[in-house]
Amino acid sequence: MEAVLKNLASTAELLAVAAQSGVVEQWDKQTLSRAFHWARYCEHLFSRFHNNPAIRRTMEKQLQLTNQSLRAVFPGYTEVSFSDISRCQHLLLVGLLKNPELPISIMKILFDTTKQSEYQDVTGFCSHIIQCKSACKVLSPLTDLSAVGADADVQGVMLMERLGALLSQGTEACQTEHIVDSVLQGCEGAAGHFCLVIAAALLTTKNSAAQTASQDFLLDWLQKEHNVLQHMCSALPTTLIKDLAKEHLKFRDAYCDVLKKWASDMEYSVSEGEWAQTSTNRTVSFQRLTEHFLALFEACPSLREDVEKELNALKVSDGDFDVRGLSVWGDLLSALNK
Amino acid sequence: MTERLVYIRVKENTGILWCGVVVAPQRFTKDLAWILSTFTCTSSKMSQLHPLIQLQQMAEPLLNVQEMQFWLDKAVAWGQADSSDTQKDTCLHLSRLRDFLQQLLSHINNMSSTTETMKRLPLLGQFLGRLCWNPYVTADGTGRRLLFQCLWGLYSEHPGNAVERKANQWIRKVLCQLATEEDDAAAQALMNQMGVPPKEYHLKVLRKMVELLQKNIGKSCRSLGDINQRCSCDNILATSEACVPLVTYPEAAPLIGALLQQPMTCVRAALSEDFLDALSSAYSSQCLSLEEQAVVSLWYHNLSSLEKAVLSLLECVLTKTGSIPQMLKEQLAQSLLPKACAQHCTIFLVVNDIFRSILKQAEGNESVKYIIQTFTNCFLQEVALLQHQTSVSLKAFFPQSPQSLLVPLLTRLSEMPQEVWRHHLNWLSGSLQRLTEEEEDGDGDSSSSTRGHHKLFEAWFLLVQCGHWVQVAVQLLVTSGPEDRGPLLWLLTFYHHPTNRGHHRALQLVRAKEAWHHLHSLFLVSARPLPVALLQSLVTLLSPQPQQPSLSPLLILKLLVNFAVFFQQSLSGSTEILQTVVERSGLVDEAACVLCSLELRLNEGSCLSSDVNRVHLRIKALQDTLTHMHAAPSPTENQAHTHSHLKHTHIHTHNNAQNHTAVSSSSAQGFFRAPMQNDK
Repeated sequence: MEAVLKNLASTAELLAVAAQSGVVEQWDKQTLSRAFHWARYCEHLFSRFHNNPAIRRTMEKQLQLTNQSLRAVFPGYTEVSFSDISRCQHLLLVGLLKNPELPISIMKILFDTTKQSEYQDVTGFCSHIIQCKSACKVLSPLTDLSAVGADADVQGVMLMERLGALLSQGTEACQTEHIVDSVLQGCEGAAGHFCLVIAAALLTTKNSAAQTASQDFLLDWLQKEHNVLQHMCSALPTTLIKDLAKEHLKFRDAYCDVLKKWASDMEYSVSEGEWAQTSTNRTVSFQRLTEHFLALFEACPSLREDVEKELNALKVSDGDFDVRGLSVWGDLLSALNK
Repeated sequence: MTERLVYIRVKENTGILWCGVVVAPQRFTKDLAWILSTFTCTSSKMSQLHPLIQLQQMAEPLLNVQEMQFWLDKAVAWGQADSSDTQKDTCLHLSRLRDFLQQLLSHINNMSSTTETMKRLPLLGQFLGRLCWNPYVTADGTGRRLLFQCLWGLYSEHPGNAVERKANQWIRKVLCQLATEEDDAAAQALMNQMGVPPKEYHLKVLRKMVELLQKNIGKSCRSLGDINQRCSCDNILATSEACVPLVTYPEAAPLIGALLQQPMTCVRAALSEDFLDALSSAYSSQCLSLEEQAVVSLWYHNLSSLEKAVLSLLECVLTKTGSIPQMLKEQLAQSLLPKACAQHCTIFLVVNDIFRSILKQAEGNESVKYIIQTFTNCFLQEVALLQHQTSVSLKAFFPQSPQSLLVPLLTRLSEMPQEVWRHHLNWLSGSLQRLTEEEEDGDGDSSSSTRGHHKLFEAWFLLVQCGHWVQVAVQLLVTSGPEDRGPLLWLLTFYHHPTNRGHHRALQLVRAKEAWHHLHSLFLVSARPLPVALLQSLVTLLSPQPQQPSLSPLLILKLLVNFAVFFQQSLSGSTEILQTVVERSGLVDEAACVLCSLELRLNEGSCLSSDVNRVHLRIKALQDTLTHMHAAPSPTENQAHTHSHLKHTHIHTHNNAQNHTAVSSSSAQGFFRAPMQNDK
């Protein structure tokens, strides 16, 4: 363990040197390769131990110590935490590329486009990244046609994996929830995208019990986050919502509740001749609401009878009139049964 | 087929000029003759062509500002909009842009400093900068390479002024941003949270995209008739267009393979022309990484890549030093072309057209004929494998061949009992003879004579494709009686001399009979030493005569070898005869090749009698003798012979005006190896 900690500390020092020291001027191909080798080693450490709280704590402590000493040496030093280690190669790369002392020959190696036989791990390292990112950009307009989108899909899978890892460790629920909250925060300004990620996460095929547990956890979280749930129901394409309702009972019920809530918030506007939401931000129209109900019934036909019974009961409580504009439930029922 | 010259490429290391040409079958240009003449050339011949190419490079126009402005405007336009039109425009211009970048690169490298470059082309920095952020340019392998090289060209190791220092800074910044910046904040946050490195993330997303798009393509639509009905095939064109910069990217290979192999039942399911062109040029530079079936589909869709494949196969097979008949079959099978021909009739037709053109250009080239024979053999084997899946009639594969000859010639030796061979060959010889008589009779009327010539050529071509029958004819000639001899010799002569220029066939037949008699007498003799007169007349026959008509020495050589193998003479006796004649006429390698192909043919046969075993042992013994001769130095008395031999074969095989093409090295009369054994 001691050796591992030493290596971890050394790599943190390496990152600092790569980013801020003029020593890089003397680096050659071999040095570069070794540096990336160490970075990979740390990434490997992360994947091995990030689920092991005890070892993780030890490593974090070591990093704190190393950070302290490095702060003294390098002004403007950015600290490295244990979770940063998962992207160690990236950090190394960023540090190197931003270092004005980096010899141009090293840069040329990193951006090399030919297929070299030796030092394959570093030759063209950047070239490959750029090619990959560009290819994604080139292909993404075409994949927009698909329901979730490749990036949301991948992110959903990542989220599932993370949740799975946390839950299997027996992490406290609030900590795990915190992870999802932070993802939501990260998607600030892209609420629609976040909804897609959640949808993708919930639609990943259930290969193991762990995945079912993760999805269950996510659904529970979703039920507590009304805003997100509402946004999902209004923003997501119908096909996705139908799939979600089909796959998850909890989602189906939550969806149904959202629809009912929307209906109950509606008032009949004589000027418009139509039911409309009273809240300032109108998320859904009466027409759309009807469509939603129909979609729900299409996805879960067994639900129709019960829901209609419920709507009927509500209509009765409203006076049981068959006149338009008096009870949203009545109008809803007649729209559904047209 | 339309006429398009694809390109000429000089391969410095092998000194071979290689041409890719797409032309109508009757009009293969002289470029193709170049292939054949230069297949046997050594690098000294290339010196004639080098000045030509250098001249072309010097004549390139210097970079002008107008062009720069044009491309800069393009780059600006591409950067602003993000519609499918922009995408289409970028992909359309991609190859020209690459050429322009190459020009820019040479220009930059010719300048003494960055300051000078910037003075000459002030818009350069802006242009390169904009291109860096164009994903179509950076996704494309060549585009990215050239772009980076231009940037490095602008970097100054020792910046002399502010301009150069700024340029350096800018270059570092741009590259850093390209490699490390993440424009999707949500993704970035998630990556940090989930502990996934950016490289891994982007790769995962790319693979997911490829998977999604592949699935989309897999869904074939059923709307065959209604053009107005929308279907999912609309996206196939768009997808193929988007894949133009991705053709050499291995990660995209599954998608490209899916695009090429989709069933194409719908009228909308078309592939973009730019896509096919990009594939074609990537294929010829060998940067493509597609699986077998995708390559076959590419050939099916794109004529020029098919032609490139055929021509490069021929080049490879004809120039490989020491390429022996045994390896030929393997090489042909590995090239996937026989399999592709079996799967798609049109591919086979194109391949045969190329073969026809080559044959017409180089009549005496035995190696080409043997390749065609082996290729057709491989092809028929592949067809047999597929036969249970599809039922395409042989007629579809051989539409131009005389129908009456088709089945008889295509019959494999194993499908016919050995006793019937003689009769079969007699029939074949007779039919072909009738055909030639028809053609020669119709010499008066010009239109019917061209038809007749065509028919005769097709018959001869089919014979070449089914050359195993000619090999059998030679074998049977050894033990033939006077009645068979005529037709068999006729067949053999026709194979080697299909055209009856100056009505020489009668004379050639006489010579052939003469040769047979010489051989027969020689092998009958048991006394030693061997009769000098007989030997001499045989050797004379084997050295081509200055005056026409002469009989192809290879024809006689084949007879000789077959006599050595099959005639009822002791092994030592036959060996001695073969050795002596071959040594004196300098045809050791050729004889070895004949033995080799004979062995291969016998191996394919299904008979397992002890007699066959004896024959194999005999062949082996003869081969050993020849190999030992090969190692031994050539006696000086033969030098005169071989030189005259070389000079004469040159006249024989090529009807091009360039007399100097085949002098110092050996001529194309040789089989698979260019230089002959005794040339010095």
